[in-house]
Amino acid sequence: MTASTLTPAPVAPAAAQPGRRVRRRRENLAGYVFLSPWLLGLLGITAIPMLISLYLSFTDYSPLIPLTEANWIGLENYRRMFTADQSYWHAVQVTVTFALVAVPLKLAAALGVALLLNRTMRGISVFRGLFYLPSLLGGSVALAIVWVSMFNRDGAFNSFLALFGIEGLPWVNDPDWALSTLILLAVWQFGAPMVIFLAGLKQVPTELYEAASVDGASPWRKFVHITLPMLSPVIFFNLVLETINGFQGFTSAFVLSNGTGGPVDSTLMYTLNLYIAGFVDLNMGYASAMAWVFLLVIGAITVVLFSTGRFWVHYSDNEER
Amino acid sequence: MEPITRAGTPAQRTTRRRLLAAALTVPLLLGAAACGGDDDGGSGGGTELSVFWWGAEKRAELTDKALALYSQKHPGVTFKKTWQGNQGYFDKLATLTAGGNAPDIFQLDDNYISEYAARGVTLDLTEYTGNGKLDVSKFPESLLKYGEVDGKLAGVALGENTQGLVYDKTLLKKNNLPEPKTGMSWEDFISWAADVSKKSKLPGTQDPSAVYQALWVFLRQNGKDLYAGKQLGFDEADITKWFALWKGARDKGATPTPDVIHEGNASDVSKQLVATGKAGTSWVWANQMPELKKSTDNELGLIAYPGDTSAQWARASMYMSAFRGSKHKDIAVDVINFLANDPEAGQILGTDRGLPPNLDVRKQVAATVEDPNMKQTIAVMDELGKKYGPNAPTVPPQGHSKVRSELIRVAEEVIYGRQTPEQGAAAFVAAAKAAIGAS
Repeated sequence: MTASTLTPAPVAPAAAQPGRRVRRRRENLAGYVFLSPWLLGLLGITAIPMLISLYLSFTDYSPLIPLTEANWIGLENYRRMFTADQSYWHAVQVTVTFALVAVPLKLAAALGVALLLNRTMRGISVFRGLFYLPSLLGGSVALAIVWVSMFNRDGAFNSFLALFGIEGLPWVNDPDWALSTLILLAVWQFGAPMVIFLAGLKQVPTELYEAASVDGASPWRKFVHITLPMLSPVIFFNLVLETINGFQGFTSAFVLSNGTGGPVDSTLMYTLNLYIAGFVDLNMGYASAMAWVFLLVIGAITVVLFSTGRFWVHYSDNEER
Repeated sequence: MEPITRAGTPAQRTTRRRLLAAALTVPLLLGAAACGGDDDGGSGGGTELSVFWWGAEKRAELTDKALALYSQKHPGVTFKKTWQGNQGYFDKLATLTAGGNAPDIFQLDDNYISEYAARGVTLDLTEYTGNGKLDVSKFPESLLKYGEVDGKLAGVALGENTQGLVYDKTLLKKNNLPEPKTGMSWEDFISWAADVSKKSKLPGTQDPSAVYQALWVFLRQNGKDLYAGKQLGFDEADITKWFALWKGARDKGATPTPDVIHEGNASDVSKQLVATGKAGTSWVWANQMPELKKSTDNELGLIAYPGDTSAQWARASMYMSAFRGSKHKDIAVDVINFLANDPEAGQILGTDRGLPPNLDVRKQVAATVEDPNMKQTIAVMDELGKKYGPNAPTVPPQGHSKVRSELIRVAEEVIYGRQTPEQGAAAFVAAAKAAIGAS
């Protein structure tokens, strides 16, 4: 991901010998042939559909008509999105709130648990497995259904609260709390970044800690001055990945709200709003426009993250940079 | 990346060629296989038609049986049947249509029929009614008309229904409460429900603020309508009145808490509050009563919505439509004709989708039906049928389903107390206008 990996390896001066050129061309061909399964997939499943959706974003296409019958309406979809569609901006707000809260919490939870699990102890791998388990279930529908029944008015969580004499709220059906339950679900699935953190922690040279101990550093200082800087590339990697993930949250919101984004649009995530526009309201052209704006915004956010990374991400192979 | 070094021996080279060939062939084969799926056609001389509908298990069972009967009478015609719950049905149908793989025969309702007809997905059945391949002579005229969009017959009603208020008889009996009666005023009904809440500790009625067909009846009783052609048939004042009526009911304790109301606003029949035991009454369609009964052990009763019942009307609860791009249009129409008119098929299907559209079949089914809940449905609908007023609504315009979801959204804003009835009314009128104008 660093710039150095992207620079091409030094190439022997071209036009050395004609024989070699032919051979090289053949080698290139072989390379492409071996790439072809992936290349065809990229073109057929990703690139071409994406280009079509770019075209559709300027039309009034509905999935009920043939592509060729879609009318070109120029920037109308984009105009409507930015100036006339209140639910669009509401969805943006919901999504940004979700990502801003869920991503830092999830990373903090992942790092915290990784620190706890980064020690030698009997049966530690069992614990690691257990903590990873929720993520195995991933964005699964089943999990979201369990979540709904846990955080209902008569769900398990409220029964638990009742033990302390507290009367719970109908969390998932309360517009003020529904998004929080989604955030909690996302945070709970911290397994993937946790495993990566754990791997990163193992890379930190123990000499550094030993030297710090000799100097009498407290555990907190060790954490701030050794662990965090040494871990910063991994933190950065997780941050980028989880931010992109966070913005794309769909399944849990869909299941929790029966595909409506309710109650009163409190869980109307961007992708869910897009789905509703395309598949429920059958405005696929409009949905395509939303998707493209989304792509550009996530791309921009990633670029911003990368550019700030320079200031706080510490690579130990500094001499190369 | 290290350049590949070319090895020398001929044997190695052949291996590499083979590998190359394999690498080339595999994706090609995969591509070919993917294309191969499309052309089925008549293997062995038979014809297979795809049929797609939504509904519960019972409907699947009945439809299976009726289609099997068709196959029996027309050897060589078989069916590829697909069904699922209402939620997600239209998403899937739209996706199938977008891919050019719409089923030969599919179920629609008045939510989307205008959408599908206007986009030319449905086969215009008018000519088939002319040449006798589709017999609609025994249909009530209004029911047939309800399948017409812009002068084209987009679907054949497979059932007729009307609004129905389903209440929990067992609950009322247990608490010595009177049963609600058809013809009660809205105010009387709300006081009755408040009374039920007080005595039974179970909310008397679901709050129907977000139930479009309840609003629709209410509007018609006030001399308005949901639509006037392709325009809205109401204004802000009407909606304010409606939201305020139910705000009053909530204040009196006639309805459940907002979160429970929200649960009951889900589209699935099984989530209706009278079925889940969270309220005494639910606002549904008359033909859904037997289905509701499946989710509860309690005895259920069925009456009309409050107010003047002549505001209610006979609506096509569901249609069967044929795909315009189908390879077997004539057979598809014949199957639809069979489901709608054949006495035996009608007997099998019963009132699951609503009253049979063919009046002869309807009479026969009414005379022989055994399910007590279906019996009750038929009796109530017969009774109401005598009082339907003139000017029954025509099929709703494009954008109707969006109007419905906007009503739920806005009504819930009011129910959760985030907007006043006035604010909600303004928001809904604006949203509904955009919904039917924009599509």
